[in-house]
Amino acid sequence: MTGISSLYTALSGMRAQSRVLDLTGHNVANAATPGYHRQRADLQAVSGGTPGLFSGVNARNFGVEVVSVTHSFDALFEARSTREEASRSATSLVSSTLSQLQAAIPEPSDTGLASQLDAFWGAWSDVATQPDSLPVRAQLLSNATSLTNSLHSTAASITALKDTAIGQMATLAGDANGLAAQIATLNKAIMANPTASLDLIDQRGQIMTSLAKLTGAVSRPSEGGQIDVSIGGRLIVSGTHSFALDGAGGTLRWASDNLAVTATSGDAAALSATITDIVPRYTAALDGVAAALVSSVNALHAVGYDQTGTTGRQFFDPAGVTAATIGLSVDVNGLPGNIAAGAPVLPGPVAPGPLDGDQARAIATLAESMTGADSQYESLIANLAVETSVAAQRADLQDQVADTAKAQADSVGAVSIDEEMANLTAAQRAFEASARVMTTVDDMLGFLIEHTGVVGR
Amino acid sequence: MRVTSSMMIANTLRDLNSSMGRLQKTQTQLSTGRRITKASDDPTGTANAMMLRKQINRLDQRSRSLADATGWLETADSRLTAGLDVLGRAKEIAVRAANSGGLVDVNARLAMATEIRSIREDMLGLANSTYGTRSIFNGTASGAAYSAAGAYLGNSASVVRDVGPMNNLAVNITGPQVFGTAGGPVGNLFEVLDRLANAVAAGNDAAIATEHTNLDNATQVMAAATVDIGSRAATLDGIRSRAMDDDLRLRTALSGVEETDLASALITEKAQENSYQAALQVAAKILPPSLLDYLR
Repeated sequence: MTGISSLYTALSGMRAQSRVLDLTGHNVANAATPGYHRQRADLQAVSGGTPGLFSGVNARNFGVEVVSVTHSFDALFEARSTREEASRSATSLVSSTLSQLQAAIPEPSDTGLASQLDAFWGAWSDVATQPDSLPVRAQLLSNATSLTNSLHSTAASITALKDTAIGQMATLAGDANGLAAQIATLNKAIMANPTASLDLIDQRGQIMTSLAKLTGAVSRPSEGGQIDVSIGGRLIVSGTHSFALDGAGGTLRWASDNLAVTATSGDAAALSATITDIVPRYTAALDGVAAALVSSVNALHAVGYDQTGTTGRQFFDPAGVTAATIGLSVDVNGLPGNIAAGAPVLPGPVAPGPLDGDQARAIATLAESMTGADSQYESLIANLAVETSVAAQRADLQDQVADTAKAQADSVGAVSIDEEMANLTAAQRAFEASARVMTTVDDMLGFLIEHTGVVGR
Repeated sequence: MRVTSSMMIANTLRDLNSSMGRLQKTQTQLSTGRRITKASDDPTGTANAMMLRKQINRLDQRSRSLADATGWLETADSRLTAGLDVLGRAKEIAVRAANSGGLVDVNARLAMATEIRSIREDMLGLANSTYGTRSIFNGTASGAAYSAAGAYLGNSASVVRDVGPMNNLAVNITGPQVFGTAGGPVGNLFEVLDRLANAVAAGNDAAIATEHTNLDNATQVMAAATVDIGSRAATLDGIRSRAMDDDLRLRTALSGVEETDLASALITEKAQENSYQAALQVAAKILPPSLLDYLR
């Protein structure tokens, strides 16, 4: 039966298609919005109420209505993408930290520590050749000083990396607190109106990704469309409440009880690794080089004799056995004549001739020692090179994994302009057709009114 | 899988970036001339390069020791050769003085004695030869090797130069090894020359004959020392030529490890540049179109 009700059927079609056009416009407008997920109108045919017992099929309403708006969102893919993004942050930060560390210890080069060590041993060899020459001895002291200065500055640049990381940790805690508070606020807004807040959910997802990148936080849904966020199993956002972190001093801690946060991913994990593992490890290795230098040179120097037959002098200050504190001893600093170039004559030991350079020669051959400073330094560089290269590879790999995860999530949620254009065209045509139905019904009704039932004319 | 334009843009960007990254790496290799600009470029290569650099530095160091040792030995060699000549002259005088016996004119004998004394002075000067500022015949003691009276002031220590791995060569020879030991019935060369001069001055033929024999023996000792020095110099020659070979070998190896192979790097760079440009062109073609461009 076509009648007035048909006009309303056509109207429902026009209304629904308008809504579809609206959403298409919204999708296209947000095609480039980070974290946005496309929205779809779910249309449903209106089947009307259950017909009354005595009413015929005629009494039914026809038409269409928008029953809901669907968020194209795959929670599994999204969670995975967020996790991989956090992991990407961690691996790339570790890789860049190691690159910086490597830049602080440049090898192979003509100016690095290795070449300074070579120059130092070379100077000993020159003293062995010309033990009577004061300038040659002074040259040795100057080479030794530039070597210790290099060790100092290398140690300082490694420590600077740690200091930077400690500063970053404090900033990170502040940022994370801000993000957690935003999530709590959005939770509250979303709970107030769970169905009408798709855009807020997208916004919250985006903030959640940022928080995960910083701290490796993970989220799980809770009641009323809210999410709970936890780091290392402890909640940072619970519904509408957020809990503060404190990053002062280089350790990420919960502000409420000062317990350490166990961040296993994100920038926090990378910074923590820098502060507690990478920097201390390479500082210790460099200290090992300095300690080997001090002990091996001093052991030989202390039993050697200077030109006046004096023995028992230290070359390096025995108290300075770290890269930051190594220095010449007061015995020889500025006193090139006190360098013990002469080897003891055994048995005895008694002082050698004043022009003996054998002890200096023995010290020069420490350059080839398998356990000496040089070989320790070489193994430090080799370890650093391997670790840096592995970290770079891991970061590259994680890049690909994260990109794939993102592509998977995007394949569900991202806006496709082609698709939107197709939807736009379909909705436009449907709208036009509904309008045509209305015109046709209007014509029919007009015909009936004009040409039938002449009663009353 | 549903593909959206934002995914295509992200993918294209990533591909362009990695293409650009490869290009940049090759260009760094070309502009610096180094294959390894940082240790992580090639950890194994870095370890090799460091080892090779150390060996080259040690070799440089040893070549300085080697030059010093050579100078030392050459000085000793030339001095001893000159000394042998002078001793020959002393023997000639001894022979002439002995043959003429008591017939020789007193003045002539005194003149010959004077010449022998001056030969002794020559030998003393020779015994105090220096290399640089350092006496070469007095071990590791400082100052002169012999006093004016002909007494040895040095010690018996050897002067050692580090000329190769596990190869320490003594470059000196001590006074007593060249000029004989002081004291005893014969004594050192200076005592022999002293007595010879006295015998010639006195015209004592028997004493001249005895000292002539002693002089012969002293010449033998000095000649043996000269041979010893010469053989060490020959050893050094061998070491030097090996060191030069090693140097060339190590530098070639280091260049192979550290430096860019220009031909291959240039070809790689060209290929990467082409692929980057192709990627840019393709990106320019595929990115803009969507259904939007075809709906009117």
